[in-house]
Amino acid sequence: MTDQTDHSRRNFLYVAAGGLGAVAGGATAVPFLGSMLPAADTLAAATTEFDVSTVAEGQLVVVQWQGKPVFVTHRTPELLAQLDGHDDELKDPNSEAIEAVQAEWMDTPEKRKNRSIKPEYLIVVASCTHLGCIPLYKPSKGRAEWGDSVPSNWVGGWHCPCHGSYYDLAARVIKGSPAPHNLHVMPYKFINDTTVVIG
Amino acid sequence: MLDAMMKTKLFAWVDRRLGLESIIKSQLTEYPAPKNLNWMWVFGAIAMTVLVLQIVTGIFLAMYYKPSAMLTEGGFSLAFDSVERIMRDVNFGWLIRYTHAVGASMFFLVVYIHMGRGMYYGSYKEPRELIWIIGVVILLIMQGAAFFGYLLPWGQMSFWGATVITNLFGAIPVLGDLIGQLLMGGFSVGDPTLNRFFSLHYLLPLLLVAIVGGHIHALHTVHSNNPDGIDLDQSDPKNIVTFHPYVTMKDAFAVSAFMILYMYIVFFNPQMGGYFIEVDNYMPANSLQTPAHIVPVWYLTPWYTILRSFEDKLLGIVAMGASLAILFVYPFLDRSKVRSARYRPMYRGMLILFFIDVIVLGYCGHSEPTATLKVVGQIATFYYFLFFIALPFLPKVEKTKPLPEGV
Repeated sequence: MTDQTDHSRRNFLYVAAGGLGAVAGGATAVPFLGSMLPAADTLAAATTEFDVSTVAEGQLVVVQWQGKPVFVTHRTPELLAQLDGHDDELKDPNSEAIEAVQAEWMDTPEKRKNRSIKPEYLIVVASCTHLGCIPLYKPSKGRAEWGDSVPSNWVGGWHCPCHGSYYDLAARVIKGSPAPHNLHVMPYKFINDTTVVIG
Repeated sequence: MLDAMMKTKLFAWVDRRLGLESIIKSQLTEYPAPKNLNWMWVFGAIAMTVLVLQIVTGIFLAMYYKPSAMLTEGGFSLAFDSVERIMRDVNFGWLIRYTHAVGASMFFLVVYIHMGRGMYYGSYKEPRELIWIIGVVILLIMQGAAFFGYLLPWGQMSFWGATVITNLFGAIPVLGDLIGQLLMGGFSVGDPTLNRFFSLHYLLPLLLVAIVGGHIHALHTVHSNNPDGIDLDQSDPKNIVTFHPYVTMKDAFAVSAFMILYMYIVFFNPQMGGYFIEVDNYMPANSLQTPAHIVPVWYLTPWYTILRSFEDKLLGIVAMGASLAILFVYPFLDRSKVRSARYRPMYRGMLILFFIDVIVLGYCGHSEPTATLKVVGQIATFYYFLFFIALPFLPKVEKTKPLPEGV
């Protein structure tokens, strides 16, 4: 049989049909994959209200925001004092590495260090930036209370039990931890003296 | 394109380990298809497309659906609320659910046409009896899957439809109560029923895929029938074309055209005037109140009419079972040597009347029962069985037309 095929015409048809098929396939995938993203009611439940005055001095409360745990810590002046003097041991002392660790209200060096609007109330996402475990709260300095689960020069903060990441009392990650970043902050505002709206 | 792909090194590597080339040749590029297949032969490919779509949409719906009759704070059930959540809150949830719900009706529509094609052109006859019988198994599983799926939204029609059908099994002598309790997991349709129906609704389509594989394997063993119903010399290129690209392209075109119709319904008329999605099912299930007018979805109504046509409860159930069971022996009831209705004038007349009869049965089953419709339904039921019972005697009186030599 002699080959009477017009190959350029046939190749054009292959590409045109294949291209259209790929577009249709891609368009079909949109609703299916789209359906797996958060639904409207999940997005609507995106804020959490909390009364910070219920947290005793030096204590920590874990609240839920968008299904994630959030630390609300009431830092005493002594605990706030523990934030100074170890900047060179921190991976990111001024919280500048990525967007998730900083917020609009971090407009003074003081707030960048404290990582909070009101210095005494630290509100951060409680998921370790390594693989998402909730770190343990170990606020006091040194090994007196914590044994060798913390380094000998422990400045107080959080210790993640999963893979041993350490954070100081402003939830800034300490060098040598597997976690890459400080604990994330989220948008929040005080609607009165003691009530905070997270999200 | 396929040729170029089959010349690559990667293909050679895979072929040595999978025998891909011989599969492609025997099933696609060298699989013989009769040259004279008409458009009625595209419905198998369309049915497979719908089956795949039903499974895919079903998997995504199962990510949000909750099979529980527990009451929520709003006073509805978890299941009903989760379906409404899919419709209102889940991204594209309305599209996926309507595709699934309309898909059930489209699946039956396509399969009924596919069966009608087989009946008209004698595709169930020697040597294709097993293809037909496996096909009947597919139909029964589809009906089961549709029935189980219909309970899931936990609306009024879901609840009362399931109640009626499970009570139906309860009328079976001796074992009735046991079968009813096995189905319901209790003494009435309730939370355990919903859970097991969801489980079975997920199981049956997967079973269906395996059985469709058997259906196709049986087909590819004996090869396709054709509109003339004659045996074709498969080695003569005058008679046949290769499956790929000739039939695959034709099927692809038909599937595209079908999808336009299907998606038109999904986007613009998903309830189809209450035929595809019954309006009463938007009322949450209430075990203390039956809806005023309760009927099955259209694709089950012919059998529902057969059930209703008998005064005796047990007799009605037996007749309904028999109307489905008789399909299994259909290839053996028909003794004629000629396959296609084109060359069987009497069979052709009887069959067209049978198609009309099934539509009449469906209409009666979907309408509110009246005295007239009851008689019409009884006559239609009578003809339904008469058609099959007359088949063995037909060759004695039927004068068939001469068959063509080739195509």
